[in-house]
Amino acid sequence: MNKEALLSIAERDFILDALREDVRLDGRAADQLRPLTLSFEEEHGHVKVQLGKTSLIVRISAEVAQPHDDRPFDGIFNIAMELTAMGSPAWDNGRQGDLETYVTNVLDRVIRHSNALDTESLCILKGVSCWTIRADVHITDYDGNLIDASCIGVMAGLQHFRRPDAVVKDGQVIVYGLDERVPVPLNITHKPLSVSFHTFDEGKLVVLDATRKEEQASEADVVIGMNNAGDVCYLSKFSGSPVDAMVFVTKTTVALDKVKEINGIIDKALQADLAKRAKGGLAEESRAANDR
Amino acid sequence: MGGPIASLNPLNRADGSASYKCVSTGSNILGSVNAPIELPGRRDALKPEEATIEVFVKPGTAPGGVGERYIEGVIRNALGRLILGRENGYPRRGVVITLAIVGGESVGRGGSYLPLLPALLHTAALALLSASVPLSMTLSATVLAVDSSGEIIREPSVKDAKAATSLHALAFTSKGQLLLNESEGAFDFGTWETVYERALAICHGTSTLSSDGDVAMTENVDSQPLEGVLRDTVQDQIHSEYAWKIDAA
Amino acid sequence: MASTATAPAPQPIPPSLSLPPSQFARLQPHAYLLAHLSPPASSQQPSIRANGRSPSQFRVTSANTGSLTHTNGSAVVRLGDTTAVCGVKAEILHTEDIASWSVSHSSSSSFASNKRRKLTNPTAKLGEDRTDSGDNESHIEDFSLLVPNLSLSTGCAPGLIPGAPPSALAQSMSHQILSLLHTSRLVRAEDLQIWYERPNFGPEEPEHHNESEQMDVDVEQEGSDEASIQTGEIKAFWVLYIDIMIISLAGNPFDAAWTAVLAALRDTKLPRAWWDVDNETVVCSDIVSEARKLSLWGLPIASSFGVFEADAAAGWRSVTIQDAEEERKLAEGDRKGIQRRWVLADPDGYEEGLSQERVCLVVDKPQGGDGKVFIVKMEKNGGFAVDRKELKELVDISTRRWEDINQILKQC
Repeated sequence: MNKEALLSIAERDFILDALREDVRLDGRAADQLRPLTLSFEEEHGHVKVQLGKTSLIVRISAEVAQPHDDRPFDGIFNIAMELTAMGSPAWDNGRQGDLETYVTNVLDRVIRHSNALDTESLCILKGVSCWTIRADVHITDYDGNLIDASCIGVMAGLQHFRRPDAVVKDGQVIVYGLDERVPVPLNITHKPLSVSFHTFDEGKLVVLDATRKEEQASEADVVIGMNNAGDVCYLSKFSGSPVDAMVFVTKTTVALDKVKEINGIIDKALQADLAKRAKGGLAEESRAANDR
Repeated sequence: MGGPIASLNPLNRADGSASYKCVSTGSNILGSVNAPIELPGRRDALKPEEATIEVFVKPGTAPGGVGERYIEGVIRNALGRLILGRENGYPRRGVVITLAIVGGESVGRGGSYLPLLPALLHTAALALLSASVPLSMTLSATVLAVDSSGEIIREPSVKDAKAATSLHALAFTSKGQLLLNESEGAFDFGTWETVYERALAICHGTSTLSSDGDVAMTENVDSQPLEGVLRDTVQDQIHSEYAWKIDAA
Repeated sequence: MASTATAPAPQPIPPSLSLPPSQFARLQPHAYLLAHLSPPASSQQPSIRANGRSPSQFRVTSANTGSLTHTNGSAVVRLGDTTAVCGVKAEILHTEDIASWSVSHSSSSSFASNKRRKLTNPTAKLGEDRTDSGDNESHIEDFSLLVPNLSLSTGCAPGLIPGAPPSALAQSMSHQILSLLHTSRLVRAEDLQIWYERPNFGPEEPEHHNESEQMDVDVEQEGSDEASIQTGEIKAFWVLYIDIMIISLAGNPFDAAWTAVLAALRDTKLPRAWWDVDNETVVCSDIVSEARKLSLWGLPIASSFGVFEADAAAGWRSVTIQDAEEERKLAEGDRKGIQRRWVLADPDGYEEGLSQERVCLVVDKPQGGDGKVFIVKMEKNGGFAVDRKELKELVDISTRRWEDINQILKQC
């Protein structure tokens, strides 16, 4: 199938009419994000993202591998996303749909190609071994705006992840277990995020963070990827009807605000988790001391 | 030993879903069921008078491979006997079960999926219940490892499972029949029979029918039978969903 | 309930209603098989499967090895109409090309010993129990030294479409074979290691197997003070690509595939290979007499079974499913009266289509042991008919099957 059930004409008209009166179905303003919550599991790099009713889980994992022949100094970083019937009944298991290719492509461009993760820092021994970092995105509930939600998840996961420490000794790589040496955070060069807009009425109406129904009723989408400093790393108007060039100009400013806002939420969540861990760690140590 | 932690309906979009965490193996599974749904292009299904069951296992931190296809087959065969695929509305439709491993260690190439099998089966059973798919009965499953000294380890960690001489995953129906057995390693039939006794005790408590007294001892070791855990999970869910009604009464 | 279904036995009845048996078999496969297995008491006929075998009888099996000349070992196994071809091709994998080779985890104690392994005397290990060489054996799994791949060739069965990606059946059988190779530890890691022999000043004669040779102590080695412990260095591995092709599929592909793998591995010869320091590469000897066979651990043999149930509806009519207790009582009744379930050994394609429950047993009998059989793998899925008692009987049948296959493999 790989296609959501179509919106009825009545539903579509209702969404459009409401938007023309500057009202969204969930009562948000046009440039407002749905409530975003991030939660981290015990395992490093395991993030749950909830953006409105869209939710997903990102797991980051590291393993030692051989670097690519043409880039002996670089580690490897991959983002893997597979849409399963869990996220939406319309998606077929084991079959790649258009949406999957599209979202993976955007994620690759926003995060991987903008070098958010410094792959050179993943090199262990030139041409022999390096770290492979893999980000798995599991979509658990789909209600629109997959791109932004996955972007947030992958970036938060990368910042939360700690890889085991590795040392080279006599040409032999020694990997220390997580309990032996303090694991190392990844080297993040900048924090790019994507912000998606959907346009209606020949580009006259533009909304941010569309829900699934809004996405279906929309004419085109505009995705802007940028970091906190305002550097644009991705800009696309992939398909659908034409959009006024001014939309890009005005919405880039909005996107910058949103990126800062989201990065703020991520930082806050990371700090809260860190504090929780520190507390837990202390409690554990004191317990160990008591045992002795 | 802490029992498993399970919850029903953590997801919105799927018809039914469940999350299941096994404390001792550290595995955490999220399962969803969509049923009954149309399966276009699969009209050539082998048995048109029954629902087609599809199982998809998605590993947490690795691409899927042959190991997943194998375990999918095992789960499909086991559940195929429980799902009443001829009930109204099910023939020629599909029951799609998606199981994502969202926590715990991944299984490597050629590695054994047995330590994860009970958790996968429980998640699938709970998700089916939550999707209100008609079932003839439920199941409970466990995995046991036998180490070189002949001792039985219940729900071994990945490390224990690797070191074990044999590994056994057993599933029982709620009526006590052996639904599934997957054993690997080197063992003799006597060992397997002890494993069987122990597994039956874990899944069903001491309702083992044999009259000899020594079975009773296992009760203390294995706390609550697993079958009860599933029952409690569903009961809790019903309690919370019908709170308005129960409170009013 | 069984008797109603058995009524139209494929015997000559009035011509207007009669069907040739082959058509009846297609139209009513379940009733057809049931009629064979439980003939009406009046007919005085024995209970027999539609293919003429008794329930515990396997099909005629034959094996032929060494038929493919471009492989290191090969075998063709026929199990009735199911035919599997297996070819083993060995390729060299340098340790430099294994990413995880130079990596050791400090938590495991085997740091350094991973690369420069202490070699007390590997030949002594031959006689030891297989569990003792665990550290070595993990090489096979860690570095993927065994790569089985099973394909169902186009035209081997009517349902297979050409050009389709590997079916779930082929994929899961590839996995079953791989996991069975790992858990049974059939291939010994020592056979696959290619060593660097340091110039030998010791008292050993140089005519040994290369890997059994005792090495001089590596100077950097922390254990260098112990002169008794000699060290060598693994420079490469043999990787065995085990390709299995089912060229004709008529039920029970796993038994045929596994027997083919077993026969091919028994046939596999690896050339003598060693690390050449001057050229920094692995060199193989082209002298045929120097090539040696793999020394396999044991001979695990697979036997599969399918369960045929008289009441096909029992699977979905919830009311008819009994408790395990009642079940046992009924089983008592079975012996006296009508049988409701048959466990069919080595089911053919027709029978496989009619049975939901499958059992697969892999057993081995250690050579020169006390004749005690141990089980390497026991799988049962898809139904409730086979419980403890039945499994025990099946183990006995598998043991007999082990003897048969052992004879067949010895002869080829």
